[in-house]
Amino acid sequence: MKKTAIQKISDLAAQLMQKGTLIAPVQEDAGFNFREVSDARQVDLNFYNTLMSPKSAFFPQMEDFVRYQTGKSVLEAVPVEMGLKPVFLFGVRPCDVKSFEIMDIHFSGTGAVDPYWQKRRENTVIFGYAFDVNTPADGADFYSTLGIGAADPEGSDVFMMKKSDDLLLKAVTDKGEKLLADMSGLTDATPDDLKYFDETVAAGRSFKTRFTCVEAKSIAKKFEDLFHKTPFWERISDACLSCGVCTFVCPTCYCFDICDETLFGQGTRRRVWDACMFTDFTLEASGHNPRTKVYQRLRQKVCHKYSYHVRKYGVISCVGCGRCTRNCPVNIDIFSIVDQAMKE
Amino acid sequence: MSSDNPYIPMPVEISKIIDEVDTHDIKTFRFTFLNKADEEKFKYMPGQFAELSIYGKGESPIGIASSPTQAGYVEFTVQRAGAIVPGLVTAALHDMDEGGKIGLRGPLGNSWPIEFLEKKNIVVVGGGFAFTTLRSLINYMLHPDNRSRFGEITVIYGARTPGLLLYKDELAAWEKRDDIKTIITVDKGNETWKGREGFVPAVCKDVAPSPANTVAVICGPPVMIKFTLPVFFDLGFSKENILTSLEMRMKCGIGKCGRCNVGYKYVCSDGPVFSLAELEELPRDF
Repeated sequence: MKKTAIQKISDLAAQLMQKGTLIAPVQEDAGFNFREVSDARQVDLNFYNTLMSPKSAFFPQMEDFVRYQTGKSVLEAVPVEMGLKPVFLFGVRPCDVKSFEIMDIHFSGTGAVDPYWQKRRENTVIFGYAFDVNTPADGADFYSTLGIGAADPEGSDVFMMKKSDDLLLKAVTDKGEKLLADMSGLTDATPDDLKYFDETVAAGRSFKTRFTCVEAKSIAKKFEDLFHKTPFWERISDACLSCGVCTFVCPTCYCFDICDETLFGQGTRRRVWDACMFTDFTLEASGHNPRTKVYQRLRQKVCHKYSYHVRKYGVISCVGCGRCTRNCPVNIDIFSIVDQAMKE
Repeated sequence: MSSDNPYIPMPVEISKIIDEVDTHDIKTFRFTFLNKADEEKFKYMPGQFAELSIYGKGESPIGIASSPTQAGYVEFTVQRAGAIVPGLVTAALHDMDEGGKIGLRGPLGNSWPIEFLEKKNIVVVGGGFAFTTLRSLINYMLHPDNRSRFGEITVIYGARTPGLLLYKDELAAWEKRDDIKTIITVDKGNETWKGREGFVPAVCKDVAPSPANTVAVICGPPVMIKFTLPVFFDLGFSKENILTSLEMRMKCGIGKCGRCNVGYKYVCSDGPVFSLAELEELPRDF
């Protein structure tokens, strides 16, 4: 294990920027977000969590597939090369790290492999970052409900935590080990640091966010049974605006559209984030649309995460990061939907 | 990364266009591959589909209408969409001529379960425009290499009018064969129509295929499906032995984009072919 003074974090950032692209939490007007860092001094670990999830590091809001020209043959269309430099994704909270594993099952672990997700994943070193276990969690968070600790190192390549004025960095994978060995300016951790690290990981496991007892298979079955109880869904979706913000900030929402954008004869086929909350999401060319009502779409989102995904992939597609709840303009809270469902 | 990238279409050329119906809004397009390697890679089975891709317009998921026994090309029967929702891709395709080039992504989805169908009698029931992948299946089973693998084959196919029947030459050829029983019906005939009149469910009831060692493969408009299924239940067909092909709006076709999600299935990659028993496991959300 290594460590560095928190004050010297920009030295660490500068080294990573020399090796490739550094994506780290950066303070913006609206709050913190993961951004490609252009100045090492921008890196700031004094944040709770980012507004947007870090999924865009692997699944950007727009991913260009092909460039084409109108009026030209399909043979002249050119696939867009990704041209990736090594990426360092720095300061990811444990619940968000967990989301990558859930998305891996879908994008590269089952069925067809999504080449964009897979290449970006392979190309990235993840620096996880523990929540402060001595400060209460944000009221929206409920990751302990999903069995995720506040300081779980699993899934990160390097796991980081603060210890007073120091930042401890522990290699979790070979990739992380190799990188840390290659960095200068880090000092070796002391036995006391090692003890602190282990104690914090343990404290993180018993750290309580909002909590309700959820077991994947039983909640999946519960929602299957609830599917036809329209009054339940109408009640919980009563205020929903179908704005889709919950899906855009969500680290495990992956629905996308593929569209062609042409301007002055130059075009790009790309994928863009889409959302099951929008009414035309399932509108067919025949005019048929199975989900015209708001309650049907909110039901799709909740059941997809807590029921369909469990039955298909064996895991709940939610990490309890609380973003959907924090950002919902009408205070719809998926935790309370799950809680209510368990009591139905 | 294009060669193994499932989002990048392969180039194909329209080698033949057949105007199928008297309303001229359904055409069969025959495509040949511009790269030999793509043709070899495009190994499909009846019941699968592909994305027809036109840059600047978009992509449409369409069932494959030809049979894999027809080497060297692949066919799709496409309706010009747009009565309610603008059909950019199908309209652009309908406006193209032979020699036109488009993109193709596939083959996609599962297929009619050929191994399951082997050694069984097959009743194929089709209505209107939803006959395309059924045609693929019939031509596959009728191929000399395959015919002995299946029992009796019965085809019940209906359209609203005689002019709306697809694949008229093939239907006539099947009617002349003695290794397939072909029953064609129209809702309403015309002065030259000498065949049967009547709705598909009523004709099924009339023909009354035996459920013994028999699988029914049924595709058609929702109203036809709704009234045909009870006929087959009454005849004694089990839900495992009734197959259909589901439609849902699709984009990626490979189970990634989430659009065609119904319950724990993605229609594009887990389907589009499902047995009635499988469909009853899913929420009514399609």
